[in-house]
Amino acid sequence: MSGRLQRVRDGVRSVARIARWEAGRSVGVVDRRTAILGLVALLLAGAVGGAAMATGGVALDRDVYRIGIDDDSQYYDVVQESPALAARPPDVDRLGRGLEVVVRDGRFYVADSTKARAALSTFRSAVRRHNLARMRDESNGSAAFPVVVTLQYVDRTRGGTVVSGSTDGGDRDGDGDAAGGVGDASGADGAEDGSGPDGDSGAGGGVDAAGGSTGDGPLGVPGLGGAAGGLLGGGTSGSPADISPPFPFGALVLAFVFFIPMNFVIQPYGSSILNERINRRGELLLVAPVSPAAIVAGKTLPYLATLVGITAVVALAIGGGPVSVAAVAPIATLYLAATFVGGMFARSFKELTFVTVSISVFLTSYAFVPAIFTNVTPIALISPLTLVVHDLQGTGVTAAEYVFSTGPFYVGSAVCFLLGVGVYREEDMFTQRPVPLKFLDALNSRIRGKRSMAVLSALSIPFVFIAELLAIAVLFVLPVEVSVPLLLVAVAAVEEVAKSVHVYAGFRGPFAGQRGWRMALALGALSGLGFFLGEKLTAIVQFVGLPNLTLGRAAFSSAGVATTPALGLLLLLAPLALHAATTSIASLGATRDRTSYLVALVPAIAVHAAYNLAVVSQLG
Amino acid sequence: MVDPRLTIARRELQTLRSEKTIVLALLIQLFIAAFSSFLVVGLVSLYDPGSVEGYETTVGVTGDAADDLLRVVDDQPSMAGVGYASQSSARAAFERGEVDAVLLADRRAGRVFVTATAPDGSVRTTVIVVQLRDALSTFERVERDARDPYLSATPLELPPRTGSTPYYGFSYTVLLPLLCFLPVFISGSMVVDSVTEEVERGTLELLRVAPVTTVDIVDGKVWAAAALAPGQAGLWLLLLDFNGTTVNHPLALLSVVGALALLVVALGATIALLSPDRRAAQFLYAVSVLVAFGGTTLLPLNPVNTVARLAVDSVGPTYPALVAGYVALGGGAYLLLRRAVPRIGLRG
Repeated sequence: MSGRLQRVRDGVRSVARIARWEAGRSVGVVDRRTAILGLVALLLAGAVGGAAMATGGVALDRDVYRIGIDDDSQYYDVVQESPALAARPPDVDRLGRGLEVVVRDGRFYVADSTKARAALSTFRSAVRRHNLARMRDESNGSAAFPVVVTLQYVDRTRGGTVVSGSTDGGDRDGDGDAAGGVGDASGADGAEDGSGPDGDSGAGGGVDAAGGSTGDGPLGVPGLGGAAGGLLGGGTSGSPADISPPFPFGALVLAFVFFIPMNFVIQPYGSSILNERINRRGELLLVAPVSPAAIVAGKTLPYLATLVGITAVVALAIGGGPVSVAAVAPIATLYLAATFVGGMFARSFKELTFVTVSISVFLTSYAFVPAIFTNVTPIALISPLTLVVHDLQGTGVTAAEYVFSTGPFYVGSAVCFLLGVGVYREEDMFTQRPVPLKFLDALNSRIRGKRSMAVLSALSIPFVFIAELLAIAVLFVLPVEVSVPLLLVAVAAVEEVAKSVHVYAGFRGPFAGQRGWRMALALGALSGLGFFLGEKLTAIVQFVGLPNLTLGRAAFSSAGVATTPALGLLLLLAPLALHAATTSIASLGATRDRTSYLVALVPAIAVHAAYNLAVVSQLG
Repeated sequence: MVDPRLTIARRELQTLRSEKTIVLALLIQLFIAAFSSFLVVGLVSLYDPGSVEGYETTVGVTGDAADDLLRVVDDQPSMAGVGYASQSSARAAFERGEVDAVLLADRRAGRVFVTATAPDGSVRTTVIVVQLRDALSTFERVERDARDPYLSATPLELPPRTGSTPYYGFSYTVLLPLLCFLPVFISGSMVVDSVTEEVERGTLELLRVAPVTTVDIVDGKVWAAAALAPGQAGLWLLLLDFNGTTVNHPLALLSVVGALALLVVALGATIALLSPDRRAAQFLYAVSVLVAFGGTTLLPLNPVNTVARLAVDSVGPTYPALVAGYVALGGGAYLLLRRAVPRIGLRG
């Protein structure tokens, strides 16, 4: 017992020593010249940022559309105010050649082109903005803004819970029915739990104030603080132009601030990992009496600490709480984990640059796309950034939600580090092997007997999630008739590769001497079983953590409402049979060589895609 | 004998090919493009339901201003109104799912107070809220017209509505500049890596004993990197054109991209020579490109805007002068770099 404790203490001590050494060395590379250059660059960055603030942002579409207009026209001011529109002399003959729209004598002449229609539509919104600004200056408020809107959200499925906190403007009015459309009990309910899209954040206060002023008197100017109301979670009251859908634009922009330091920190981290591998520099550390895991932990710790520290500072600056830090930390860990694997696999700095850029792009998009739908669907919780948005909006996060959205990131980071540590040894670090071979080596270092096949399959699920989400993002732009079948094939391909690639690796490693068909079927079935169990575990976690998720309900009710128990069992076991069968097909091919593995993947993917298509068309 | 600079440039490109990193680079760019389109198409269809076909929203209208409001709602595209005598019957219809939203409009103290009820927690919520906003804005205009005598200024008449797609502006002002400038930034980063790696691996010593000058070495690397950017940008322009986004002035566009690539690559090479540790060099390069690029967007004639206006054909007849300006800028930076290289030297 004390011996084990001693070993743990030794391990921690060596990790701490390596971490100190890594931190000292990273600071050491900054010589005076670099420091001065960096300072100049940062000062310039500050100046540019300040200038951007001072001039009111940038207009990328400046003068893209040209409007022919006289300078005494009443629309002239509109064209001048809108950056995208440029005023030119009103020459109807030049319509289509140098002019998109001509305004003359109160009539609009439009050229016949897509561009001209886009110009007119931009012009239309500019006029609308101009009108709104002019009405704000009117002294007679009730004539300028004769309509006052209060928007409330009601959950139809659960029988009327008010989720908008802005109905108290009507209440204060002393007029029960203004807010009473929802029923009293549920109204109180909604105010209490405050789980609505607008919540009780700073913006909520602005909305409340607006609601209050509308109730105060007939001439009270309605609260048109659209900027405050629209920044976090959409405006819910004021003039019609002030209400906006529940889109957390402001919170998303703020959440993006968390990502900027990550992209800068993974660069030196990746360099540091790759540096160990250049000219056998890491050999000294490898022969020291510390385990590779301790070396990697020690090298990673300073960067992780830096990132968490920066995250905490950013959270303080933009008003996030501990939840934000706890939600961003796993993203930072996955960034570092993926960069570590990239650093272990890359052959040159150039390759490393591309790998780190890919990591940034993929992880950023994986975190962002779901978070956009924070207020729309609970599926958004697959991204930890959704937790940050909730935190910034002040709408609270439950422990189950936290586990659900950060779990894949923790598991994914652990898997990446495990794979990377597996090849943190002499024969892989200092050789210029192609990346695929290194990847197979990394997988092989984790295979201990047949059971590992099931474990590796289950561990691949977070990556399968990420890959499938990205496939959706990429295929989204295509028309539905093309994108849905393509998506089903892409999903099948991702899952089949994830289930069989370690089987292929196994036949290049520990199972090289047992390439019989029995072994192939056994490994394939085990791998399919592992994937099935992992999938079901995820579904159960979803069900427990997010009971109000419609998708989860659909998935479970399909098994629950089956007419007979036998049919229910069939529905449950069908995916198991599918996964085992398709992976066996692929693993039969994997026994020979790469070509036959790739060839065998084709029928495996085809069977899987056909199954998916059948399920989708049955349920749809 | 072949120019040694060309040999070095060819070697640079060969390593890119053998590592297949260029494929990865193209994939990243394609992904970013597809991804930003996804975001914009997705967001626009949420914000501008008119651009999405097949959404018919039924609205229950009640209250003492219901008749006026109903008339406006029925005039809206893809919206239909149903009148209800009482608030509770409208509410019940909403609960049963017969109407998608309820508007309760009451006249009080010279104003119309509208309580809008929208369903919570579905993707359609956004669409419904936007449609309600449009209908209520129109209603506001009608009501405002009735109160015209009390206003000091009359609101301007809106230009006619058009069936224009909102992606048009996005394609030219965001997507196209993005695809033109990503290769430029990647080229700069590549030169930084290439120079710092020679220093780290010690292969610079070998190059030095070869019969080439330091200027030749830097030249070869700069040429290879700067040539890649317009090539990739050209590929994207072709793809966009194929996709139905007509790109005007392609040659002028590619000249601008090439000139900017030369400028950025010269910057990257200078940084890598001054500070040959990759960690520091990449950081400095990233910050200075951000500064330079962010700073120029504040200018009236910034690169993003230039590219967008060239592609959409909103430039005057003087545009060759503008393109020449960019080319002069890129060439100037390159010449400066060549003069600076012997002075800085290559520190091994």
